[in-house]
Amino acid sequence: MTTSHAGSRPTRRRIPRLRGDARNLPVAIAFLLPATIGFGVFLVWPAVRGIWLSFTDYSVFAPGQFVGLENYRRMVDDPVFWSAMNVTVQYVVINIGVQTVVALLLAVLMQRLTRSMWVRGIILSPYLVSNVVTAMVWLLLLDYQLGFVNELLHAIGLDRVLFWGDPDLVIPTIALVNVWRHLGYTALLIFAGLQTINPQLYEAAKVDGAGEWASFRRITLPLLRPYLAMVLIVTSIGSFQVFDTVSVATQGGPANASNVIQYYIYNVAFTRYDFGYASAMSVALLVVLSVITFAQYRMTRAGQSDVN
Amino acid sequence: MTITSASPQARPAAGRLNSRRVRRPWVGRALGWVVMGLVLLVTLFPFYWMLRTALSSNAALATNPTSLLPVDASLNGFRRALGLTTRQESLEQGGFGATIDFWRYLSNSVVVATVVTVGQVFFSALAAYAFSRMRWPGRNAVFAVFLAGLMIPSIFTLLPNFVLIRDLGLLDTLPGIALPTMFMTPFAVFFLRQFFLGVPFEIEEAAMLDGASRMGTFFRILLPMAAPAVSTLAVLTYMTSWNDYLWPLLVSQSDRSRVLTLALGVFRSQAPAQAPDWSGLMAATLLAALPMLLLFAVFARRIVNSVGFTGIK
Amino acid sequence: MRKHIIALGVVPALFALAACGGGEPDENSSSTGGAEPVELSYWLWDANQQPGYEQCAADFTAANPNITIAFQQYGWDDYWTKLTASFVGDSAPDVFTDHLAKYAEFAGQGQLLALDDLIAADNFDTSVFADGLIDPWVFTDGMTYGIPKDWDTTAYFYNADMMEEAGFTAEDLMDLTWNPDDGGTFEQLVAHLTVDANGVRGDEAGFDKGNVAVYGIGINPSYDVTGQMQWANFTGSLGWDYLDENPWGTHYNLDDPGFQKTIDWFYGLSDKGYMPPAGTFSDETPTQIGSGKVAIGTNGDWASSQFFALDGISIGVFPGPVGPSGQRASIFNGLADSISASSDHQAEAWMWVQYLGSSACQDVIASTATVFPAIPSATDKALEAFAAKGWPVEAFSSYLDGGRTFLPPITVNSGEVYALVTPALEAIHLGQADASSLTAVNDQLNQIIGE
Repeated sequence: MTTSHAGSRPTRRRIPRLRGDARNLPVAIAFLLPATIGFGVFLVWPAVRGIWLSFTDYSVFAPGQFVGLENYRRMVDDPVFWSAMNVTVQYVVINIGVQTVVALLLAVLMQRLTRSMWVRGIILSPYLVSNVVTAMVWLLLLDYQLGFVNELLHAIGLDRVLFWGDPDLVIPTIALVNVWRHLGYTALLIFAGLQTINPQLYEAAKVDGAGEWASFRRITLPLLRPYLAMVLIVTSIGSFQVFDTVSVATQGGPANASNVIQYYIYNVAFTRYDFGYASAMSVALLVVLSVITFAQYRMTRAGQSDVN
Repeated sequence: MTITSASPQARPAAGRLNSRRVRRPWVGRALGWVVMGLVLLVTLFPFYWMLRTALSSNAALATNPTSLLPVDASLNGFRRALGLTTRQESLEQGGFGATIDFWRYLSNSVVVATVVTVGQVFFSALAAYAFSRMRWPGRNAVFAVFLAGLMIPSIFTLLPNFVLIRDLGLLDTLPGIALPTMFMTPFAVFFLRQFFLGVPFEIEEAAMLDGASRMGTFFRILLPMAAPAVSTLAVLTYMTSWNDYLWPLLVSQSDRSRVLTLALGVFRSQAPAQAPDWSGLMAATLLAALPMLLLFAVFARRIVNSVGFTGIK
Repeated sequence: MRKHIIALGVVPALFALAACGGGEPDENSSSTGGAEPVELSYWLWDANQQPGYEQCAADFTAANPNITIAFQQYGWDDYWTKLTASFVGDSAPDVFTDHLAKYAEFAGQGQLLALDDLIAADNFDTSVFADGLIDPWVFTDGMTYGIPKDWDTTAYFYNADMMEEAGFTAEDLMDLTWNPDDGGTFEQLVAHLTVDANGVRGDEAGFDKGNVAVYGIGINPSYDVTGQMQWANFTGSLGWDYLDENPWGTHYNLDDPGFQKTIDWFYGLSDKGYMPPAGTFSDETPTQIGSGKVAIGTNGDWASSQFFALDGISIGVFPGPVGPSGQRASIFNGLADSISASSDHQAEAWMWVQYLGSSACQDVIASTATVFPAIPSATDKALEAFAAKGWPVEAFSSYLDGGRTFLPPITVNSGEVYALVTPALEAIHLGQADASSLTAVNDQLNQIIGE
């Protein structure tokens, strides 16, 4: 990269510099404008409105009245809310834990074993299918009576497992069903990152006598860090908002064992018409997600790139 | 960016390494293939199961739930999914009685997904460029704000967006479904920015030295180099939009704006006495997934070709 | 790159296409003479009934050529979400099928059109409907919000071959008794019908309740405060009612010891091995009986067509057993048609609703043998239609003759009530709690509905 003298103003040629430069501002604004419009109108404004609603008793049909912190007090006392948060955290831990590890493994395998488009296509294929359909086919496969998996277990001599109906098993079941769906997508994201690692680094490592595991640990992981970080942040935020599967497969049951927070919020809003309270819980969810994102961003130092 | 199409499996010919290490990579590779094979199997089996169920008839499914082959095979599932059976026929086959305007739902899905993808990817790429390639006052602060948008749970914006779309008079229209995600999502901006950060700046700088404008270098240099990421994002966006369920459910009131996922949801919840029309549902699923498969096949080739591009060091 | 410029052009083009596509003009039947053509939107959830109502619509349009009916059917799970969304979005259907458990919320929010003035103006005779059908549709403000369409009760469908093998006759089934202590002859029936994997019946020695091949009685996976799909036949024959006053009570009676004993007894059938444990079946009783793993299952008359369509299984029906109160009992639910307050065609909507509530339409529905219409003469026709198909459904109407029928609980804030009671009942069936946990729930419910 050519250097320049700090503070010098080019007089003969327009030489753009990557420095804090107010002259970039108009161009930057031009680049940013459409995205900012979308962001402002469809993200920020509804979010602000949502926060406002959390302080009212808005119920869809009638304009709400300001009720101060009442919704929040109610939330703190609500056992179902805390159970929902608990259930959701369990879900996220299982889902993201399994998903990230297996996706990383898969991405490396794809990188090292075969670049075959067939393999990549197959691995990604569950993501093509919507959550609704994923839930339906796994409802069928894991069904206690009709399910193939249970028949298999029965044939081996094990007991049938009540995947969807046992309160202790339902969250791991949903988590693993969603791992099935998102594995390819996550692996693809990581794979895209793997593409940017210079293969000559691996060759050099081989020459130096490094094995697969050592080059994975010393080359792949560090260079992959920004992408892994991004993947981790994005997938955990998405995971916290699990909804479709619960809505289709278990409707929060049995006995609230799969009543994740987003589903509870939805129920409060759209079947009990209490948008004020639903908004308050959404604010709480927002705070939780912010904390987690911030923590992950810091811990993985996602803002820095290790390309050197 | 230097990515050669040479396979990373090429081993150096150095003899002293081979004697010590030749067995271990082989075992590792075999193990890798076993794992890969297992993953492929688990990935594919549910799809096979969908096909098998779609080709079976509902009554036989209940009595013979685990046969690996279709039971009482017939194409009725597909006929119901495409809306080719009369109501009477479909009720008799264990389906429900409403009519399905499959081709219209398909075209609605295509329109919405395409508009959203093209808009979102393009506008997000512009924004990501501004965040990664230019320094300007307040850049990091604005990016942090965009990033904060990632944490807004979708349920939070659902009702206010619904009311907004209603006020714009766009309920039950395709633009109404497309608008909220058509401009950007924080994820798209984030993803592309991360990627752009990893792309060396020299080529663009050289071009700008030669007098090219920012817009010019964006289109002619950065985007081609970033093609894998942009293509990946486009594919992901298309799929996300295609599979969206809750938002279209609220916005769409009638057939004219109904998309394919809603039609699938209709299969699910019609449920005479709660037993879903499994064979019809699975047939509809397969039909809905087919465009996605074709799309991916096309784009996958593009991604592979882009990966083969060599740039200047 | 050029392709992006093309993309820039494509986006607005597609947009325009979509906007145009969405704005196609409705077909207007222009050959109607003087009156302006009107299209009414009508929503319903039961796809089985749609053909009958479409026939009514065709007849109605023949008599009123300027009014056409556009049907929209959503499954039960989506129906209420879509309806609420349509109220919010100002695109509510003109007329829609309404349900007792749900209408209170809509009426309270002013989304429903009060029908009293219209009834008076047209001298619509509301006494033609069976007793007790229109009264629950009068809201707390004294106004009527629905015109009855049909009524339903629940009874027990059974596998006739299994019943015969077990040695029970139809008379035995009509003579069943029940009490919450030992289950009466009803439990004896269920126990005898239950067969384990070794062929041992539930009331014989050596019965292995962990290894059941055929359950005596199935259970619908629908846990709610009405108990309509599970235990309402029993609790209703106790001399007990849900509320201090129904509709619009302010005090639930889930803390009643007799009620709780019944609940414990009912879910306890699973512990004895006579009923599937929670989660075993995710579908309702028609599928359960169809699988050959269940001998008896309760359901409403609306499900008759599913049961009688089961291949290779002959089905019989018997009504709920006689309980401690000396009567057999069933929930008596009535659906009605409501008009949206925001409808632009209230006059035409009212004409359609009147037609739906008339013998002309209800006779058509009767002939489809799907439900029992609200007008007694149509009910008789429906019974005949069922008989003509060879479906023995007298059990459903037997309650009207010396038995007890009662309404499902109708209160305000029903959404919250359901949200509290459903998990509590599931927990009881799962064995996580027993029926005494309902006392605490009851207190919460009283707070919710007492406001």
